[in-house]
Amino acid sequence: MSTATLEHAADTAHDHGQEHHHHDLPWYRKYIFSTDHKVIAKQFMLSSLFFLFVGGAFALFIRWQLAYPGQPVPVIGSILPDTWVTEAGSGIITPEFYAQLLTMHGSIMIFFVIIPFAVGMFGNFCIPLMLGTDDMALPRLNMWSFWLVPPAGLVMMAGFFTQTGYAAAGWTSYPPLSAQTGLDAFTISGQTLWTISIFLVGFSSIMGAVNYVSTVLNKRAKGMKLFDMPLTVWALFITAIIITLGTPVLAAGLAMLFMDNFLHTSFFLPDNLATSQKYFGGGQPILFQHVFWFYSHPAVYIMILPLMGIVSDVMATFSRKPVYGYKAMVFAIAGIAFLGFVVWGHHMFQSGMNPLLGTTFMLSTIVIAVPSSIKVFNWLGTLWRGNIKFSSAMLNALAFVSMFIIGGLSGVFMASAPVDIYIHDTYFIVAHIHYVLFGGSLFGIFAGIYYWYPKMYGKMLNERLGRQHFILTFITFNLTFFPMHVLGLGGHMRRIYDPNVYDFLKGLSDINELVTIGAIALGFSQLILVFNVLWSLKFGKKAPRNPWRANTLEWAAPEHPGHGNFDRDITVYRGPYEFGVEGRQSDYWPQWEPGASKTINHKTVVVEDDSRTFGAH
Amino acid sequence: MDRLLSIFDMLVWFPENISTFGHELDNLFAIIYWVSVAIFFLTFGVMGYFLVKYRYRKEARGYNYHGNNLVEITWTILPTILFASIGLYSDDIWERTKYSSRLPQADVKVLVMGKQYGWQFLYPGADGKFGRNAYTDRDNCRKLISMTNPFGIDSSDAASMDDFTTENQFKVPVNANIVFHGSSQDVLHSFFLPHARVKQDVVPGTWMNIWCNLFKTGKYELACAELCGGGHYSMRAEYEVLSKSAYEQWVDKKVSEAIAARSPQPVAAPVADTTKVASLTK
Repeated sequence: MSTATLEHAADTAHDHGQEHHHHDLPWYRKYIFSTDHKVIAKQFMLSSLFFLFVGGAFALFIRWQLAYPGQPVPVIGSILPDTWVTEAGSGIITPEFYAQLLTMHGSIMIFFVIIPFAVGMFGNFCIPLMLGTDDMALPRLNMWSFWLVPPAGLVMMAGFFTQTGYAAAGWTSYPPLSAQTGLDAFTISGQTLWTISIFLVGFSSIMGAVNYVSTVLNKRAKGMKLFDMPLTVWALFITAIIITLGTPVLAAGLAMLFMDNFLHTSFFLPDNLATSQKYFGGGQPILFQHVFWFYSHPAVYIMILPLMGIVSDVMATFSRKPVYGYKAMVFAIAGIAFLGFVVWGHHMFQSGMNPLLGTTFMLSTIVIAVPSSIKVFNWLGTLWRGNIKFSSAMLNALAFVSMFIIGGLSGVFMASAPVDIYIHDTYFIVAHIHYVLFGGSLFGIFAGIYYWYPKMYGKMLNERLGRQHFILTFITFNLTFFPMHVLGLGGHMRRIYDPNVYDFLKGLSDINELVTIGAIALGFSQLILVFNVLWSLKFGKKAPRNPWRANTLEWAAPEHPGHGNFDRDITVYRGPYEFGVEGRQSDYWPQWEPGASKTINHKTVVVEDDSRTFGAH
Repeated sequence: MDRLLSIFDMLVWFPENISTFGHELDNLFAIIYWVSVAIFFLTFGVMGYFLVKYRYRKEARGYNYHGNNLVEITWTILPTILFASIGLYSDDIWERTKYSSRLPQADVKVLVMGKQYGWQFLYPGADGKFGRNAYTDRDNCRKLISMTNPFGIDSSDAASMDDFTTENQFKVPVNANIVFHGSSQDVLHSFFLPHARVKQDVVPGTWMNIWCNLFKTGKYELACAELCGGGHYSMRAEYEVLSKSAYEQWVDKKVSEAIAARSPQPVAAPVADTTKVASLTK
């Protein structure tokens, strides 16, 4: 096909698309109840950014209390609601409110920030575009998967108006604490609302995931084999499978917890509790932990696998190199996903389950280090002999890899059950989860935002602000979370309101202060990102069609794709990472560009004739 | 500055170890720590080198290379061997510290009961035998559990006469196998002795086996490590490791107090020693 005909075809397709969506849809179907996957992705992005700041504010309260126990919260202390503080206007937060803070911080960050960012936003935005198709397989289901999130958020935040305040049993909400509120049956507490809210976001996840799986299997562009898909799509596809298998189990656990909490059944409550004789008893508290972690350990991978895919794509593009060991990367993702389902017990080494199970779960957990290290080595291999450009997206991707190395290594400590005896439920664990979920997931999310913002909004983000945001975040992140390792080794338990009660923790107060200073700086650094996102929307440079000179299909779409995405027919001729192919003038070779090639000695070589052969690699 | 740098030397931060198996746990930590430090410098070194050496140059081009199976297999097998050996070595220590079948012969037995927010202990007294209570006779005595009788002690049993309780403090002899059976009367708690490297969640309705053997006398702290409500942070207790003779004296004193308290009204529940222990520095 000549260039002229291609352009002509593109023009007519474009006109048709414009006409179609300008005439048919009222404004609220275009911007609010839209079935367009890109609009839904933007909605997920905005809600997640909002909740990022809500969850972050809760975290700063926690940090203030730990560094300066019993001192009034500065600036806003005098206007805090009376139920949060020891006496009206004192600004000193109560232990009960502290427990609510840590619960809400964890729940919001996990269920309303990282999962919606990683799966909701990138899943929606990337899958159809990178597969070269017009939309998801089930667009209406997709719309509902977003529109369950705001009500779920409202339900959780409504805990404030209940008698006992927000949920206060930790994001893990272990019974009996979460089941026994001391209230009568049929009384709504913050914990009841928490259960309903998580149930709703779980439902939203399942609807999204079903959609991703069917889209990947049914709607790939002409010529695109499964092994022609970018790693982002592979990772999201496998994540979607984890969600469909794991989330219903969590839903079952939440339903039982809801009944214990609201209807006073006894799924998780043993007989003859001293505090409450009202319960029938006969339940087993540890059962909830098994059910909860059967979902929530795979959920850890739900939160990191999509970002691993995104980071692989970003690193290939900015190293101008194919991803090293593409298939090994796919198998490693699948391996992590599979192993993710057989390691949940490592959260429960000290829970009182049979220590024999501890042995089993320790061995399976340690095996998970293998696919993780394969991924790290392959990322390093991708950098090898590249031509590395340090854009904001690339910097965040590199931060992802390096922080994931630290987070992964600290994971080996707690995977070893006897070492876990001491560090379990201390700040060492808190350090670890923040290295993988903030250092890992959130840096990956930033990388993705910097990388795809041009395609999302048709404008370039400001690179200078991007770099400043990265440097500040990277430094303050490490200042905040690295010292938490030594807090943990000093024995500092997590979720305690005042470490000064304990003599063995008295020597750690300066470390707690250091962490808090880092956390405040880290929180405020994020304002740069928000400013950049909003400012560039209006004043950003207009984005070209393929600003990063990348190979994957989303860059074949127009600068700011409308409903229906593509203005030309897409046929895929080769894999997603053909950079620096010898014998070609440009150093990249997009998937949609006609031409044949074959692989000799792990390198791609251009084949002159036979243009009908699809790319081999 | 020294203090700031010491953040990177993690091994110095542990509280002093007083338990016989504590060294093994600390050494295992140190092994994994040094392996991690080596991997950290290896991967960060390689990454830093690549980032500098292959930084963007206008005339340069990325190398079109898709990876090599032999390399992939090598870096699959090497970590497998490394991590599997850490796992197998860990398992040996895990079995000895936690398996119920490996519980040592008890020199001292103590029942532990967590509550919101405090710790209660029951000693078998002079005869070294518990009377009927929720641990020794679960089926009949669990229903006796109440706020005033957390162990569900059946005071009609003669063997219960010398069983005594303490609250928020306990004492144990040095160089003896101490076996705790822990439970909770309300929600989950975690029995955490930082200096003894002991941690075990206690679960209502179930008894957990916990043991240690402490080689150093002195006063130490017990903390709760599982969120149990607003007062979680205040769920602190103290324990003292005493020489054998001092421990026996203390037991004798406690036993005579318990018998005296029970004698006039044999049906009454034992009186707990509710003296709240003040912080050591206060």
